Amino acid sequence: MFKYIFKRALMLVPVLIGVTFIVFTMLYITPGDPARMVLGEQAPQESVDQLRQDMGLNDPFLVQFGRYVYKAVFHGDIGRSYITKRPVVQEILAAFPVTLKLSAMAMIIAMVIGIPCGIVSAIKQYSLFDNLVTIFAMIGISMPVFWLGILLILLFSVRLGWVPPSGFDSFSTMILPAVTLGAQSIAIITRMTRSSMLEVVRQDYIRTVRAKGQKERIVIWKHALGNALIPVVTISGIQFGILLGGAVLTELIFSIPGVGRLMVESIKMRDFPVVQGGVLFIAVAFCVVNLLVDLIYAWLDPRIKAQYVS
Amino acid sequence: MKSKCFKVFAAMCVAALAAGMMAGDPASAREKKDPDTLVVANVYDAKTLDPYATNDVASSGAMLHIYNRLVTLNDKNEVVGDLAESFEQLDDLTYRFVLKKGVKFHNGEELKASDVVFSLKRALAPTSGAVKHIVGAIDLESIVAVDDYTVEVKTLFPFSAFLPSMTHMGGGAILNEKAVTEAGDNYGMNPVGTGPFKLVEWKRGDKIVMERFDGYFGDKPAFKNLIIRAIPEGTNRTIELESGNVDIAYQITTNDVARVEANKNLKLLRLIDNSTAYLGFNCEKAPFDDVRVRQAITMALPVPAIMKAVLRGVGAPAVGPIAPNVKYSNKGLEAMPYDVEKAKALLAEAGYPNGFKTAIWTNDRKVRIDIATVAQNQLKKIGVDVEIQVLEWGAFLEGLTQKKHDMFIVGWTCQTPDPDMAVYAPFHSSMKGNNNFTFFGDDEIDQLLEKGRLIADGPERQDVYYRIQDILRERGPWVFLYNDEQVVGTQDYVKGFVPSPFGFHALYNVTFDAN
Amino acid sequence: MNEPKKKNPWLEVFRRLKKNRLAMLGLVVVLLLIGTSVFAPVIAPYSYEDQDLLAAFESPSKAHWFGTDEFGRDIFSRIVYGSRISLQVGLVAVSFSIMIGGFLGALAGYYGGRIDNVIMRIMDVLFSVPQLLLAISVAASLGPGLFNLMIAVGISSVPQYARLVRASVLSIREQEFIEAARSIGAKDLKIIFRHILPNCMAPIIVQGTLGVAFAILTAAGLSFIGLGIQPPIPEWGAMLSGGREYIRDHSYMTMFPGMAIMITILALNFLGDGLRDALDPKLKN
Repeated sequence: MFKYIFKRALMLVPVLIGVTFIVFTMLYITPGDPARMVLGEQAPQESVDQLRQDMGLNDPFLVQFGRYVYKAVFHGDIGRSYITKRPVVQEILAAFPVTLKLSAMAMIIAMVIGIPCGIVSAIKQYSLFDNLVTIFAMIGISMPVFWLGILLILLFSVRLGWVPPSGFDSFSTMILPAVTLGAQSIAIITRMTRSSMLEVVRQDYIRTVRAKGQKERIVIWKHALGNALIPVVTISGIQFGILLGGAVLTELIFSIPGVGRLMVESIKMRDFPVVQGGVLFIAVAFCVVNLLVDLIYAWLDPRIKAQYVS
Repeated sequence: MKSKCFKVFAAMCVAALAAGMMAGDPASAREKKDPDTLVVANVYDAKTLDPYATNDVASSGAMLHIYNRLVTLNDKNEVVGDLAESFEQLDDLTYRFVLKKGVKFHNGEELKASDVVFSLKRALAPTSGAVKHIVGAIDLESIVAVDDYTVEVKTLFPFSAFLPSMTHMGGGAILNEKAVTEAGDNYGMNPVGTGPFKLVEWKRGDKIVMERFDGYFGDKPAFKNLIIRAIPEGTNRTIELESGNVDIAYQITTNDVARVEANKNLKLLRLIDNSTAYLGFNCEKAPFDDVRVRQAITMALPVPAIMKAVLRGVGAPAVGPIAPNVKYSNKGLEAMPYDVEKAKALLAEAGYPNGFKTAIWTNDRKVRIDIATVAQNQLKKIGVDVEIQVLEWGAFLEGLTQKKHDMFIVGWTCQTPDPDMAVYAPFHSSMKGNNNFTFFGDDEIDQLLEKGRLIADGPERQDVYYRIQDILRERGPWVFLYNDEQVVGTQDYVKGFVPSPFGFHALYNVTFDAN
Repeated sequence: MNEPKKKNPWLEVFRRLKKNRLAMLGLVVVLLLIGTSVFAPVIAPYSYEDQDLLAAFESPSKAHWFGTDEFGRDIFSRIVYGSRISLQVGLVAVSFSIMIGGFLGALAGYYGGRIDNVIMRIMDVLFSVPQLLLAISVAASLGPGLFNLMIAVGISSVPQYARLVRASVLSIREQEFIEAARSIGAKDLKIIFRHILPNCMAPIIVQGTLGVAFAILTAAGLSFIGLGIQPPIPEWGAMLSGGREYIRDHSYMTMFPGMAIMITILALNFLGDGLRDALDPKLKN
């Protein structure tokens, strides 16, 4: 198992280089001059040209890429923000915990609500409960995040005055964003649990168990649930990763200083080192989540475990 | 099989617990009004607190409280001393500033002439590109400390707008030599000034927390803590104001103006600011190289009606390139008449009887997109088929610099109260592709702009700028759209807040009405 | 698992689909939407771009069923025309990612080993750039526009389908009927397309219907950030995010485009669910 984890960690290296390359390329072809963005639109062109030169932005693409990778690998230096001049690591370390907190809260809400709803829905397929859950899940999936966020603000901040509409430093300011961000995940997890449960229930081994005359309750809890939750775990892991990178809109609506907002603003400001560093950071976080998912997956399904070991 | 179930739930519990611990900050009680704290909701966060490294409104708004300049403006727009006890012009080129004694920096150092020399030299250095153009008239070699409290500088040419330019928040700010040298690249996050507040904490993208500086040489603020929050969504700023979480909210959106006015607990302050939004033409690209085409489009746009539809009562339709609160703004300038028939005739005369296809560029500001959308509809009437291209700010600026555009909508803010700042950069032919994005070049205008810089204030200077405004209206590189308005909402207990036409506002005079 | 030759399998699927009322409802709505987008000029009472500044912000009325927006444009007409845009974005982006992702995932899962490793690592790379950020970067670098939007949303979803299909293939490939097919000498590609992919359809369809929702919502999100489609194109997401500043006074401006998005996604989901049940060969008795 440890060997496997080590192997996966090693595999992270090419992934990160790949990510760096993709992001670097994309930023390189993006129109907009970082030097101009630093100095502002009123600054004279000579100053901008001078700064461009100093920033090394006039060098060929591969030179810039090579320099970045070299510094990152051999000096652990991923640069400073063009705008604030602060080390990128500091910029990200200030923003990342906020996003992590937000995503974790959203995910907890999603799992705590989604999995039980999905199970009950599947057991009582086509019942009133099932239909209600389906409809709510559907609404959760179909509502644009920012619309939901604004409606929640209107209801809970304006109409009821329970929580402030912006910021992220106390529980009361975190609850609306977490629900907003988690709404889609609730729906997705519910649906995944339900369909996976139905899938499993129809499989031959369950039929066999049933044929043996086992009680339905035992069939469900003992035989079906474990297998049914395997894809749910996968989907949850994927969802968590998506939330980490997808919190952008929620962060924008609720004025939360998370990594998503940092990224969007850095892209808009052409603050390339921060974009690079941020994406790398999210990529690492994401790969770690994936690794955990795979480990749990293997743990749950011995057939797959056997495969990894071999 | 049962153990499998258990494993899943065990895994989830661990995850939930781990996440729960991370999210487990104690819920802080909702702040009631604290008489020692002023909370302000701004739109954007500052970029850096190094005054020479940026020139944006949000950063200036924060730095205004951290730094002082040698001279500043009083409420009549006159230049008065700030760190300077006195100042005088010795000859056409030379200025002398005598510093106040006993002024302390936040790090305890006393302000000396050497700090001023250091600051001005740093502002002129190649690395200070963001403000260099503002103080660029100073001759770098000429800056000398006569003694510990006297500084003399020369300008490169006789420059009547020199003293106003020294009031600029960024370019004129005086820094502490030791603090800048020690902090190096980290200075932008660790500013040291002489201002009424010093930085305590800066949570990027969230808020800047400042504390009253007890060693301040001027009148000390009435409150201890100043918090400037960044809340980009306009609706949220108003809600925060309504629910009492902030004391002052900047840039109340048009839709919320009536709401704030109607709210008994709130006040609304409004002031037309020094920015002029315009629709510009690429004057070096056909068909806009023909003045008749520019005039035709100007006449086909009912600007006041468009502004009424888009801004709904906020801001004012612009009649000229110099905003009303800037010196020598000709408020009597007549707007081009709205005349579709005349516009069609002009187009036909210019060789486009059936109109043409073109594009309007703008960035992603809603007001500008809205104006473009209405203009697109209006221009159909004279056969001009417009495509709207909404670009990101960075791509927008790059496209403008590289002359790839046809028409575009953008704003120009005059950052000092002198008209030179309002018209030189956008219209002088030497600034083409720099701030002159219309690539407008006109000998008469060039001569007038150069003349306006040299002569001293008075009726003659006024004539020059009036003439410039007339010509620009006539030769139409810009369709003047509107002067923006600072719309600030405050709690009714907030006293002493005066909005500034520069778009960033002084907060140190604010007091709270006791009740 | 082989259908009897004389019966058209899709008719069979449809026969089963008919039994599911929600699915039929979804199908009807989707057909209606397609009809609306085809016949938009006939259905819409006004043009989607003609302005009447004097009639701005009118609440819903007989003349303007859904009211008018800040330019006095008829919101109903804009929504009718907008169905063209949203359906296009959703369907094109998702078909694109299912085709590419599904194929890669099947290859990876079926062959395993080095091929699996290479494909999945590339997927990891793509996957670890968050979708919305990828879309934002693509929109920023290529410039905003309908086509770029579809590409961005499509590419960013590829790894998701690849993983899903790979996981399904992993669980299927060792089953008896695959062994049987292999033992009678079937070619790999044939096994993948004939036997494995059809058996992975259920999760692909479930994920695909959600994917259409995701694509439409991502487009809306990009509009919110300011990188969406150019005005005056009536994209629902752009209408929704453009109307958000008026939400406290004129909530109908966001209500109707929001509802249009919701109903579209709901219908697609009902349909997708129904199809899943109908396509599942194991249900057939």
